[in-house]
Amino acid sequence: MKQERWSVVEVSVINTVDTSHEDMIHDAQMDYYGTRLATCSSDRTVKIFDVRNGGQILVADLRGHEGPVWQVAWAHPMFGNILASCSYDRKVIIWKEENGSWDKMYEYTGHESSVNSVCWGPYDFGLILACGSSDGAISLLTFTGDQQWDVKKISNAHTIGCNAVSWAPAVVPGSLIDQPSGQKPNYVKRFVSGGCDNLVKLWKEEDGQWKEDQKLEAHSDWVRDVGWAPSIGLPTSTIASCSQDGRVFIWTCDDPAGNTWTAKLLHKFNDVVWHVSWSITGNILAVSGGDNKVTLWKESMDGQWACISDVSKGQGAVSTITDTQQSEQ
Amino acid sequence: MIFCFIGAGSETFKRKMRLKEIQRTAHQAWSPAEHHPVYLALGTSAQQLDASFNTTAALEIFEVDFSDPSLEMQLRGSLPTTNRLHSIVWVNFGMGADGTGGRLVGGSENGTVTVYNPEVIMNSGAEAVVGQSDKHTGPIRALDFNPFQSNLLASGANDSEIYIWDLNNFSSPMTPGTKTQPAEDISVVSWNRQVQHILASANPSGKAVVWDLRKNEPIIKISDHSNRMHCSGMLWHPDVATQLVLASEDDRLPVIQMWDLRFATSPLKVLENHTRGILSISWSQADSELLLSSAKDNRILCWNPNTGEVIYELPTTNQWCFDVQWCPRNPALLSAASFDGKITVYSVMGGSLKSQQQSTADKISSSFDTMDPFGTGQVLPPLQVPQPTVQDTIVPPLKKPPKWVRRPVGASFAFGGKLITFENPKLPPVQSPQPVPRQVFVSQVTTETEFLQRSRELQAALQSGSFNNYCQAKIQNAKSDAEQDIWKFLLVNFEDEARIKFLRLLGFSKDELDKKISKCLGKSFQHNGHGVDAKDLAEKMQRLSTERTEEATDARTSGSVSPADFFTQTPKENSNFQIPVSCARRCWLGNFEGAVDLCLNDGRYAEAILLSISGGEELLKKTQQKYLSRQKNSISMLISSVVTQNWRDIVQSCELDNWKEALAALLTYAHPEDFARLCDTLGGRLEHERTEKRCLQACLCYICSGNIEKLVECWASHRDSSSPLDLEDLVEKVMMLRKSIERLRNSEVAVQSPILVEKLTCYAGILAAEGSLTTAMTYLPENSDQPAIMMLRERLFHAQGEAVGQQPLNSFNRVNASATKPAAPAQTPAPKAQVMSQYQPSGPSQMAAQQQPPMPSIFTPQPAPTNTRPGLPPSSHAVPPSAYPSFREAFLPPTSCSGSRFNADHLYSPSSSQPGAPVPMYPGALHNQGPAPPMASGLYAPPGSGYPQGGPGAPAAKPFMAPAVAPPPIGPQEGWNDPPTVRGGPRKKKVPDNYTPPAPITAPVMGFPVEAPQPHDHAQVPPGAPREPSVQLLQQLPAERVEQKEIPAEHMVLKSTFDSLVQRCQLAARDPQTKRKLDDAAKRLGFLYDKLREQSLSHNILNGLHEISRCVASQNYQRGLEVHTQVVSSSNFSEISAFMPILKVVMTIANKLGV
Repeated sequence: MKQERWSVVEVSVINTVDTSHEDMIHDAQMDYYGTRLATCSSDRTVKIFDVRNGGQILVADLRGHEGPVWQVAWAHPMFGNILASCSYDRKVIIWKEENGSWDKMYEYTGHESSVNSVCWGPYDFGLILACGSSDGAISLLTFTGDQQWDVKKISNAHTIGCNAVSWAPAVVPGSLIDQPSGQKPNYVKRFVSGGCDNLVKLWKEEDGQWKEDQKLEAHSDWVRDVGWAPSIGLPTSTIASCSQDGRVFIWTCDDPAGNTWTAKLLHKFNDVVWHVSWSITGNILAVSGGDNKVTLWKESMDGQWACISDVSKGQGAVSTITDTQQSEQ
Repeated sequence: MIFCFIGAGSETFKRKMRLKEIQRTAHQAWSPAEHHPVYLALGTSAQQLDASFNTTAALEIFEVDFSDPSLEMQLRGSLPTTNRLHSIVWVNFGMGADGTGGRLVGGSENGTVTVYNPEVIMNSGAEAVVGQSDKHTGPIRALDFNPFQSNLLASGANDSEIYIWDLNNFSSPMTPGTKTQPAEDISVVSWNRQVQHILASANPSGKAVVWDLRKNEPIIKISDHSNRMHCSGMLWHPDVATQLVLASEDDRLPVIQMWDLRFATSPLKVLENHTRGILSISWSQADSELLLSSAKDNRILCWNPNTGEVIYELPTTNQWCFDVQWCPRNPALLSAASFDGKITVYSVMGGSLKSQQQSTADKISSSFDTMDPFGTGQVLPPLQVPQPTVQDTIVPPLKKPPKWVRRPVGASFAFGGKLITFENPKLPPVQSPQPVPRQVFVSQVTTETEFLQRSRELQAALQSGSFNNYCQAKIQNAKSDAEQDIWKFLLVNFEDEARIKFLRLLGFSKDELDKKISKCLGKSFQHNGHGVDAKDLAEKMQRLSTERTEEATDARTSGSVSPADFFTQTPKENSNFQIPVSCARRCWLGNFEGAVDLCLNDGRYAEAILLSISGGEELLKKTQQKYLSRQKNSISMLISSVVTQNWRDIVQSCELDNWKEALAALLTYAHPEDFARLCDTLGGRLEHERTEKRCLQACLCYICSGNIEKLVECWASHRDSSSPLDLEDLVEKVMMLRKSIERLRNSEVAVQSPILVEKLTCYAGILAAEGSLTTAMTYLPENSDQPAIMMLRERLFHAQGEAVGQQPLNSFNRVNASATKPAAPAQTPAPKAQVMSQYQPSGPSQMAAQQQPPMPSIFTPQPAPTNTRPGLPPSSHAVPPSAYPSFREAFLPPTSCSGSRFNADHLYSPSSSQPGAPVPMYPGALHNQGPAPPMASGLYAPPGSGYPQGGPGAPAAKPFMAPAVAPPPIGPQEGWNDPPTVRGGPRKKKVPDNYTPPAPITAPVMGFPVEAPQPHDHAQVPPGAPREPSVQLLQQLPAERVEQKEIPAEHMVLKSTFDSLVQRCQLAARDPQTKRKLDDAAKRLGFLYDKLREQSLSHNILNGLHEISRCVASQNYQRGLEVHTQVVSSSNFSEISAFMPILKVVMTIANKLGV
């Protein structure tokens, strides 16, 4: 069986934000609505831009880190305008906008080495932040109100360092149907992490304690980033992981217990793959590699992953690709 | 330098700076970068003894498993060797595709170069040594492999010996050129990292020679003139071809010199920090800003050789470290071999340095190492007794993060298909003075080009209202016949005479039918569009009787050639048209029942039925039953169905292969209030077959009935609508069907059915993902309280970058995460619970949200006066008035009407009694005229679903096929629907009975005894619900007629005014079309009067009518029309649809005529 469908993927630059950072940019994240852009840099600053309607108004220039800032993460707007940043200075800073001005809401200094990744949990879980550090530990910061943050730490989550954390979407295990309203949904909190031990690990909270749930082995070098795909209403869980070894794996799990994960190699790149990011609808994966290339990937109907676009040099791209679906024959 | 603090916590498993450790006095070689997993090969060092005085030698391979938090390394293989080593390297050469293997090459103290296969060592195989040569005459201290050609290995020994080995041909090494003089030990050889044929060698005297292997000669010699460089290490710059460093072991000059061959007279830089001679250096291949050095001052330093700065110090050793090596694979790791007999793997990323749990061997070792009685012959280090530390020492990572953790590039998705990308230009090692633009790009990603294009087309059609063109284009471009059929049906919904066109689409042509009838009757019929007079009727009856025999014969003939699955036989009757005197007498006396009995007994069915019509509904029904009970053939089934309106039997029992015929019959005969249900029933049966063909046919049925929900369900059941294009396929059809229904109803059709809500939400989600935020908003079902939909709506709203200052819309309450204000009364153990409850949308805010003006909605009807596109009526229901002839006059016997008009003079006036007469139409939304609005009564329809029950095929604004022309031919090969067969002869055509059965009105009521007192209630019955006729009900009906009320006095003025207006117009009207309209108007105003009698009109409408009446009385028609518009726009259309359109027509005519 051979089925071909031509599809044109367009990636067109609609806004070029000149950040005026004085050193390398390490992360750029849009908020929930796509109206504000947060950037962070080796120049130790975090900047927030209002990019509505193609504009680029600097809203805030957040200074507080004493080293390169690796990642920023927006909390869900239901909690207000909250941004977390993590840095080589071993600190995590949670910033909050109050009355139009941004201030430190909380500073976490519980890591012994570079904090490489921060990720907010699904809003269903409340305000909870996972932080992965080069000290090998993962911290979970939960806002408990009244300026209080509850800290749980998974020590030695990844020997010689954790590079990335990503939360699972809030799904009630074993049930795809929404719980009756009024009842507290029985969510199980899960997230995935990747580290310098070449492992992808899944973590699950049980009785208030974080436990290693799964250990996924396929990479032969540092796992640089992990991304748990948004739920698209299917029972399948999907995780993307990328590595120093140039490989990107797509991990899927169909069983409700979440025990059986299978890896599919998306592609082997010639250079380190730094970052993976799922589209909001979970059907496209953006992969950014050390050769400054960004590629977009999509799963075809028969489960094969195909590169649908090659975005290079920030110039945007129009690629015409053939989404060829064919069997072994 | 060391960043220490105390008491960081009580955790047991802190990440350690020191990752692995093993007791060995050995030279070390990491497995190559490509190798996985990471191994460390250790070859017993020459000229060193450990505390056990062990003189054996071995080559061991350990796996460095970093997922194992312990300090242990797993021994994977061991090979006893005869010689101790001075040097060892692990080469890519011979590495398998799986990233394992390669070759280990050892340089021994006796001048032997040995090549080992590490795989064999690990598998304990016998033939681990794959090559050996003793070409060298002295200890081999220098080994390096070519980074470009892994088969090329350089070795250096004493006496200025340098050999280049080809691992493919190991026996005959080459030399890089003639030996340098005077002969010296070669302490180090190094291949250039950029140019593959360049090799450098250095000797303890401090001289370095650069060889060009293509020229086979030295090309440059480097030497500092201090003569104090005692070269222990030399490395090429990883990135810059012309630079190299030299390390000096001399305590008097413990420096690292950085040379650039372009300025080879003196060092470019001198890295000074060690206080005693440097023993080993290693340059990170992952980051050229990281150069390690270990020295006799017991320190391991990390330099940025480009700046000369010490950026890190491993605070770890208290011993000389004679060999440091970056791990090629894991750039944060290094291994250090110390004279105290330890191989330690460290990380430069910081962490805690725990006080060591020293092993027994360690203790033994340490007890000896202070003495070092068997030292290397080198200067002993000062004694250093380790201070036992009780606290963790937190060691920071490198001051500047290494290159490999500085993420240079990123791409993240954001809402609305936005992709945020950044990259950092690869900088030259030397900072360029020019500022680098630090840009972030926001891109729009669209992956569904075709989907978006089609979505845009759909949106354009929806906004402009050019539905016909849209459907036409769809028909033209349809990829399959089935698709084309569906679009043709959808198109018909936007056209006049939908039922006729549906029939045509089904393959039944009215014209052909007319012809056939004409042929049969031997006369061409004129369509005159209105009722016939008595004379006409009499004439027809006469004709009927005379042509009957001939007709029957003809029918038989045609019946025999037709497929005629339904009905193949023609009833035969003995025709005798002499009416017995006794019968006539009874007629005159009004004893219809008796007369009918007489006729029936005589077999004079036609007469019997004619008579029974005059005798009232009950009698007619009885008569029909009697007649039918005597007809035992299949044609009678059709007639039975037609007469008793029992279409349920047809749709429930017909062969599905005849679905077309069944649908045609419904289109022809079924009453509007039944039509939708019957279509749905038929559709349901088709759908139940679960084949694609049947499902498509079912879809056609649902399109006829206007049942959006069923259409969606059916479509979704047999077609995958998960992909965007498939969903687009569905949404296009749904939107068009919906538009056509909205056009009929002149009001919005709310999206209520769960499956449609789901599909539209999905559709909106895709649009949002493709960046079409505004369009997405328009499809998102309104009034939904589903959290997912509300969240998407809220997100879309904010994402569109609305003007600042606009009231934001929150579908959730914000959780107070303020740093200043307590959000929870106390430590909430489960904050999520609180969050969840707060996340429920607050009712008021949501209500407000829905009234937000900026929320666009295509579902908002567009009555805008500006909306005057050519070819489209400004008001979607404004079908030309001529299309609204009275349905009642055409089809319904008086019995079915409110009694007031029962005795009206047009009792026998159905225009349809003339076959092929201008097609009588339903009045607008006739079925809506009942006191209960259709939505409320639509039990069959999904609760609250907004579409009219009649569906586009049935309802009002659509022309309805005259029953007389009804029998639709099945293409050319008709059988069952040949006029004679169906009607049993022309005689019947005189009689409206076959299309004006008493049942139509009663039938729906029968199913609903509860609602029985409301004869106009067109409640529908669920398809499966039993619908036994209720005798009691039937009996009640006449009684109710008798009780018909008068028009209340205060409203009589309306009747008189409007009647008089119509009369005035009729007098003034000249052209036949206007006359016809006015004739129709006279009848249709009856609906208004009915309503007045029933007092079922709302106050608002009554006020409006009176106002109109006053305007009419004062001949201010313009003002009247304005009031009319107001009333229509502010009222429930179903309540007024029966008469308001005609009122407008009359006023318009009056205005034109100036009466």
